[in-house]
Amino acid sequence: MNRKLSFSWRNIKELIRDPLGYIFCVGFPLVMLIIMTVLDQSIPKDSVTVFHIEKLAPGVAVFGQMFVMLFTSLNVATDRGGAFLMRLYATPMTASDLTAGYILPMLIVSVVQSVITFTAAFIISVIIGSTLNIGAVLLSMLTLIPSALMFIGFGLILGVLFNEKAAPGMCSLIISLGGFFGGIWFDAESTGGIMLKLCKCMPMYYCTKAARSAMALDFGGSVFLLPVGIVIACAVVIITLGCFAFSKKMRADIG
Amino acid sequence: MLAVETKGLVKRYKDLTAVDSLDLSVNEGELFSLLGVNGAGKTTTVRMLCCLSEPTSGEAYVMGKSCTADMAQVKSVIGISPQDTAVSPRLTVRENLMFMSRVCGLDVQGSKQRTDELIELFSMQKVVNKRAKTLSGGWKRKLSIAMALIGRPQVLFLDEPTLGLDVLARRELWKVIESLKGKITIILTTHYMEEAEHLSDRIAIMIEGKLAALGTLSEIEQQAGAQGLENAFVAIAERGVGK
Repeated sequence: MNRKLSFSWRNIKELIRDPLGYIFCVGFPLVMLIIMTVLDQSIPKDSVTVFHIEKLAPGVAVFGQMFVMLFTSLNVATDRGGAFLMRLYATPMTASDLTAGYILPMLIVSVVQSVITFTAAFIISVIIGSTLNIGAVLLSMLTLIPSALMFIGFGLILGVLFNEKAAPGMCSLIISLGGFFGGIWFDAESTGGIMLKLCKCMPMYYCTKAARSAMALDFGGSVFLLPVGIVIACAVVIITLGCFAFSKKMRADIG
Repeated sequence: MLAVETKGLVKRYKDLTAVDSLDLSVNEGELFSLLGVNGAGKTTTVRMLCCLSEPTSGEAYVMGKSCTADMAQVKSVIGISPQDTAVSPRLTVRENLMFMSRVCGLDVQGSKQRTDELIELFSMQKVVNKRAKTLSGGWKRKLSIAMALIGRPQVLFLDEPTLGLDVLARRELWKVIESLKGKITIILTTHYMEEAEHLSDRIAIMIEGKLAALGTLSEIEQQAGAQGLENAFVAIAERGVGK
């Protein structure tokens, strides 16, 4: 346990001392929150509901989690590239110590990121006179924990498969796809046809849908339970694949 | 007891034989240098002895423990300073040492004590609160070796520890390595002849994965029929293995 916690602590320090971490994991989502609120205030009311703060905040929170994926992949890929992991392989640390040490701090970062995003969203909601329900905010944040794990799992896989130069590029691809097909910046439900089918193929769509339903305190089977179930299943599969990929890579490295 | 022993150690990567039937024995407390040109098999040998690479065949033992069957026990008695410094860039010198000591199983109090000991041993007081990425190459190497020593290893592997350092930093690091001589067993791989000549008790020269010469400096000179390690190395390398 000590080894896992020590490695987690090391990874948290590495992340919080990287200025890019603040820019991408906190600054960028906040900027998007502000810009989209300004946009929402500038267009006719109810013409685009997705930018209303109660729908925007959960979407931006999911968007922010995708940057946690980027930093997870970068952390793993950099450690691999710089022989730091090789040093740790020669110690009594096991693959599970290492994977837990990558996952745990990123989960904490993701939760803190959600708290910051929703706090900012709450302040904005008060300013624009559309105050968010605090209970709904807390439920929405809870709903986002499985999706955080899923994105961390994606980051682990990409950090194992690609080097520190390629991994961020691959993450950017997922961020772009996720932003688009996740229904963060437009109402996927209103599109229908092939577009909606494509959105439904992406786990990000269910992350956004579940978090928005929680914010609306709508816990119906098709709008909350099903999306949450899909996100949890994806999180379990992706994080298991991530751990497996890391363990396999470790065995290959010392093969 | 022998600190390190290999018997017919072989490592093959597809068509390439990186280490070929290597028989070595290193005594406890000895500083043993592995010399060779690029691709001679030095780093591969160190990797197998550190349980970082599985031998294709043959046996390797560190402090009597098998590098394939008793990996956990081997890992608990070794320390490695890899070719790349392998430090955590945004952690300070003290934090890097504390982290490694916790990884090696020391408790908080023990970690603090061991970290202070190594900071003093390596005279790192003035850089102790600096982040590793801001250190010069020489300080990074010192930190890397200190991290390898944190768990009080019985065998220390130094893989090209002075690679890329200027002459002053190299001399400074030699002093550090000399200060460890006799206290623990050190396996040093290097390209620099004067480094091996200056530091080693015994030297092994590897050519194309095979052991081409083994002994003290004077024994190597005798085997090669040349004066000075560099001349002896060139003579042995040109002659090749078994020619």
